[in-house]
Amino acid sequence: MPVRSGSLPLPAFFEMAVPGEWRAIDFISDLHLCEAMPRTTAAWAAHLRHTPADCVVMLGDLFELWVGDELIDRPFEAACVATMAEAASHRELAFMVGNRDFLAGPRLWREAGLRALPDPTLLDAWGQRVLLSHGDALCLDDKPYQAFRAEVRSESWREGFLARPLAERLRIAADIRQASRTRREFDGDSAADVDTAEAVKWMHGMGARELVHGHTHRPGSQSMAPGYKRHVLSDWDLDQGQRAEVLRLTRDGFERVAPAGPAQP
Amino acid sequence: MTKTVQMDTSAGTLRIELDDVAAPVSTANFLAYVKAGHYDGTVFHRVIKGFMLQGGGFEPGMKQKGTLAPIRNEASNGLKNKHYTLAMARTSDPHSATAQFFINTTDNGFLDFKSESAQGWGYAVFGKVVAGMDVVDTIEKVRTGRKGFHDDVPVDDVLITRVVEIG
Repeated sequence: MPVRSGSLPLPAFFEMAVPGEWRAIDFISDLHLCEAMPRTTAAWAAHLRHTPADCVVMLGDLFELWVGDELIDRPFEAACVATMAEAASHRELAFMVGNRDFLAGPRLWREAGLRALPDPTLLDAWGQRVLLSHGDALCLDDKPYQAFRAEVRSESWREGFLARPLAERLRIAADIRQASRTRREFDGDSAADVDTAEAVKWMHGMGARELVHGHTHRPGSQSMAPGYKRHVLSDWDLDQGQRAEVLRLTRDGFERVAPAGPAQP
Repeated sequence: MTKTVQMDTSAGTLRIELDDVAAPVSTANFLAYVKAGHYDGTVFHRVIKGFMLQGGGFEPGMKQKGTLAPIRNEASNGLKNKHYTLAMARTSDPHSATAQFFINTTDNGFLDFKSESAQGWGYAVFGKVVAGMDVVDTIEKVRTGRKGFHDDVPVDDVLITRVVEIG
């Protein structure tokens, strides 16, 4: 592992304390919901309705693309928001943005009934301290992506982009997805992974022993250093693929489960 | 011993006998929802011709209602998913039924208990429609479509206006 000169400061983090009576918390990410993913979207909606968990934490890239909260006025996004608002009356929903939906904002939180989580967030659940992140900020080896990320996450870029008409923003987004260079910039290198040293530094600095992240689409749980572990979330694709998985945290620790289905015969 | 309930719907009235001997848990559970008025104002939200009518969980507009705790699956009680029988809907977890039920509109043998496994548990029958079969037939034929992320939702709401125990 290359040694970096000059250590990055630890990012500011937010702490989410779990009420003692909660029994389970679900983590999902990288669903990339859009109109072209009807089965994936239906499975997500069913899970929000039927999971036995007290809270569902969505750790980024819930949406394939979010170019501003005015998207809520379109039928597909409106249906997603209604689904979340409905589920939020039965359980808590928490939302962290990813690299695809980082322009999600207060109107979405309000109308969908979401608790917005900054990246990173430290979860304190029954004495277990777990660091939550989408994961892209930790892929340090991907220098072009980190430069792109720093630019688009700046307040000035955000304000400038959101000031453009929605139609123009959608066109820019479509262009980005068609050009492989910009697309590669937008998503980061698909081979990139979380920097182990930086991740352990974050966990150590925040008093966490475990990290939950998505972004890489390479689900699994691995040790990062003695006493430090990470749990990588699966992406979801039930339209072209057969992937959908929920990471569940209880007092007994983490387990991976299938999404909860609707009540049926 | 059986219990009888009357279910008034926007398509007409059903009389349903509940078998509290073969299915005591499902019957008591259903009657608890009846007594609480839970079903009044709900809809048949999933209707599939030649299969079943499902309801008891949503208000018009696909607004889900809160429920009591899930119950044990009694599908191994010998009752079969025959035409016009009443059974509990559930998720992929065999013991997850709460308020939603369905009425079989044909003989659905594939829904019967086979073994105590996730695939084999089947769906617990606990009653049958004894009057108003024509109402079931009418509801079965309503036009359905997609609403939000739900399929097979009646285009015009089929309301359950009131359910009461009558004996």
